[in-house]
Amino acid sequence: MIDDLKLEIKKPILRKLILSIGIPLLIVYLTVLVLNYIWGKNAALEQTKKYLRELTDHHAAVLDAEFSKITMAPIAVSEALENLQKPTHEQLISLVEKKMEFNPNIFGMAVAFEPYKFSSQKEFYSPYVYEENEKFMSCELSSSYNYLFKDWYLIPKLLNHSYWSEPYFDVGGGNILMNTFSTPIYSKDKFIGIVTADMSLENLKARMDSVQIMGGYTFIISQHGTYIYHPNKKDIMRETLFSKAQRVNYPPMREFGRDMLKGNKAVIPFLDPIQGSKQWLVYTPIKSTGWTLAAIIPEKQILASVHSAIIRQSSVMLIGLLIISLVIIWASIGITKPIRKLVGLAGILATGNLDVQMENIKGEDEIHELAVVFNKMVIDLKQHIKDLTTTTKAKQAVESELKIARQIQESLLPRIWPAFPDREEFDLFAKNIPAKEVAGDFYDFFFLDDNTLAIIIADVSGKGIAAGLFMAVTRTLMKTVCQKGVEPADAVEKANAILCQDNDACMFTTLFLAIYNVDSGKYSYANAGHNLPIVLTKNGDCRFLPTLNNIAMGIDDVHHYNQSDSHLEVGDCLVLYTDGVTEATDGSDNLYGEERFCEKLKINVSNPVEVILNKIEVDLDKFQGENQFDDITMLFIRRN
Amino acid sequence: MKKFIFILIYFIMSICIISSLLAEEEISEQTIILEVQWFPQSQFAGYIMAYEKGFYKNLGLNVQISFSDGTDSPINKILNEEAKFCTAWLSQAIVLKTKGTPIVNISQILQKSSLLLVSKKTSNIFEPTDMNGKCISTWGGDFSIQPNAFFNKFDINAKIVPQSFTIDAFLAGACDVCSAMYYNEYHKFIQAGINEDELVPFFYSDFDLNFPEDGIYCTEETFNSNPELCKKIVQASIAGWEYAFTHPEETLDFVMKYCDEFHMQTNWSHQKWMLEAIETAVKYQVGDDPANWGKLRKDDFLRVAYELKEQGFIDEIPSFDNFSKGDKK
Repeated sequence: MIDDLKLEIKKPILRKLILSIGIPLLIVYLTVLVLNYIWGKNAALEQTKKYLRELTDHHAAVLDAEFSKITMAPIAVSEALENLQKPTHEQLISLVEKKMEFNPNIFGMAVAFEPYKFSSQKEFYSPYVYEENEKFMSCELSSSYNYLFKDWYLIPKLLNHSYWSEPYFDVGGGNILMNTFSTPIYSKDKFIGIVTADMSLENLKARMDSVQIMGGYTFIISQHGTYIYHPNKKDIMRETLFSKAQRVNYPPMREFGRDMLKGNKAVIPFLDPIQGSKQWLVYTPIKSTGWTLAAIIPEKQILASVHSAIIRQSSVMLIGLLIISLVIIWASIGITKPIRKLVGLAGILATGNLDVQMENIKGEDEIHELAVVFNKMVIDLKQHIKDLTTTTKAKQAVESELKIARQIQESLLPRIWPAFPDREEFDLFAKNIPAKEVAGDFYDFFFLDDNTLAIIIADVSGKGIAAGLFMAVTRTLMKTVCQKGVEPADAVEKANAILCQDNDACMFTTLFLAIYNVDSGKYSYANAGHNLPIVLTKNGDCRFLPTLNNIAMGIDDVHHYNQSDSHLEVGDCLVLYTDGVTEATDGSDNLYGEERFCEKLKINVSNPVEVILNKIEVDLDKFQGENQFDDITMLFIRRN
Repeated sequence: MKKFIFILIYFIMSICIISSLLAEEEISEQTIILEVQWFPQSQFAGYIMAYEKGFYKNLGLNVQISFSDGTDSPINKILNEEAKFCTAWLSQAIVLKTKGTPIVNISQILQKSSLLLVSKKTSNIFEPTDMNGKCISTWGGDFSIQPNAFFNKFDINAKIVPQSFTIDAFLAGACDVCSAMYYNEYHKFIQAGINEDELVPFFYSDFDLNFPEDGIYCTEETFNSNPELCKKIVQASIAGWEYAFTHPEETLDFVMKYCDEFHMQTNWSHQKWMLEAIETAVKYQVGDDPANWGKLRKDDFLRVAYELKEQGFIDEIPSFDNFSKGDKK
């Protein structure tokens, strides 16, 4: 039943927990992720830059060492020839072969002389030694080859120093795409020829094809920007870095190239105009030849390691976030489930079903304490209701008894109206309205003889049974002491003396006693601390009977009570009442008061006493509403 | 006897008629070789496109373009009947004509000289006279006429060294000034990373030495025997040039195809530059209308001839009418 309860909670704790923990956690997570990415990326890029520089420097240094080694052979031959006087063809070939033996990277070597410098008989002389099938072969460059106008001859001659030629396809010489290192030969400081060493670019390509730099591609450009090596073989010797820049209309590439030709090194990110993606260009010079080794690497390749690290970290953090979310949900359910159960139980409890208990309470947390307190509350409530039931029953019993007591009390008071139907000398009407079931007020009237009527009104201190009993005793006493011919003061004195005896409860009563002669309208009265009776004349005037300064009965057993005499004119009415009338209060604690009381009496003076009394009662009811705290008793007698 | 003579004349006439008829047939079937001065490049794009687009064929000509390797001049090829037509520089042709070589110009395709001298600004050569005492590389043969005229004109005393077909010596700093064709070497400097504003060009055409270059030549015999053929060759070639200039992308693709076949170390961008430079030279002073292209201007002829005579390359100025058999202006 409880589980079936569907609670409509607008802002559940789960949502609060997720908002207060999950969201901040997510923000922290994303912040850390972004910072990690930025810092990680920059660090990785710097590291990669350094790595690329070192890697290209390394490859360039290896090539540089090999090229430098190639240069050694022609320089050695040149130096040897400077010292040889008129070498023979065989000596020359032998010299070159020896140098080539120690340098397998040399494809071929030529020694080219100025016209008639080798022999006065030969204008052109240029033996060329090359390796074929692991054997050295030699030939002479033909006269039609006209080596005097070849760059490899002309340029070092003009420069007066060694020179790495631009790559060229050597027709008539090696018949391959090659590159030549040339160094001048001097005899007695006069230029007599050139020694060259050829390097096959085919070998270079085969070697460079195996060089991998971070998934990019490498290329080598000559000192004039010509591609000496490029993965795209078609570009070799055809394109320059600058022609490519022209073709793709990308001026920055031209600036990179110019920087390369200056022998600088750099690592530069740039936007590839063809692929439209970001690439990195790294280049470093090969010093011996004046070439540049360069590589172009896709940035995504460089960032791949960064990204994979970020993805790893993100995954770990994401898993962490998921775990935390699950923990939040789990904790939330752990908290809310018993609370929801409690809410359900409280709902059932509200319907009056007290047979509910929070069961399976685990843990020692606040929820556990709440459940324990709830269970205790239910038990206490149950006990309380049980006690309440018992008390109610007891109260009902008491009330029942009070009701009976009331009935008995009522039976004690004269309540048959008219009280004396056969007496026309007067009209009398009285009423007791108790605040509680058993009143402390009472009235009484009885004839002492044919013409003498004793009239009593009294108000016992306190309320309820005790007051009722004291009233009964007082009434009985008054009935006993009021005998024919008795004076009111004596009667009161006697009754007082008896009441004072064994009055352990210290109860007292105010009392007014009048002995009225129905024929003459004369009466004598004693007032034991009671409210001053009012004489309502037939004209509607109200006057209070003078006070006699007597104290209430039951206080002082030897108190001497005074009495006084007065009389009623025909039509006059003696109004006896208890303080329940004048001290009645409304909701605002305003007293009903004697003035209002008199006013009402005056208004109703022409009415029979019963009507007057009832009107007063109605007015009182209207005035005090449900606020009757004291017994109200009134007795009106009118002389006819 | 008379009858015999009549029969003989009849027989000879018949043979002549048949021979001439056969000769007519042979023109259409024979391969006509057009020898150009160098390996395939945009300098010859008009002829290539005339061939590729069938302009020669449309006129009933079975033309074959032959690319020279530089070992023998194209004029020698036509003299040796290895080719029927060739392209050659005007200056070279005038020199040869003066020496009695039986050649005629049937069209002057390039109206402007593309030859120039170039120095780097860093060499501080800004005026021709600044070249005094400097090292200047020049080509031989026809390419030496304008430089010599230039040196004489400005009385330049420099160290003249031979220049290979590359620009490497200049780039390596082996010489201060080098020769270049605007459509070729000059652009190679740019493609070697040198900016134009770092160079100081000396166009011969700016120093009253505008020697129009490529023209189409044949022997006098070829022209005399078949002027119509010459006219058709020129007509189709000019149509080829018009097509090349109006369809540069397609033309460059064809040029590069030829370059690949000849393993030329060149690239698309370079050939593009060359085609544009050639277009300027073709339209120089004759405008955009192809009807005006290929005409040899007498002023140009006389200027070149005069300079050649001045430089001592020729003793006398040849007759313009004997030299030029194509459209004139």
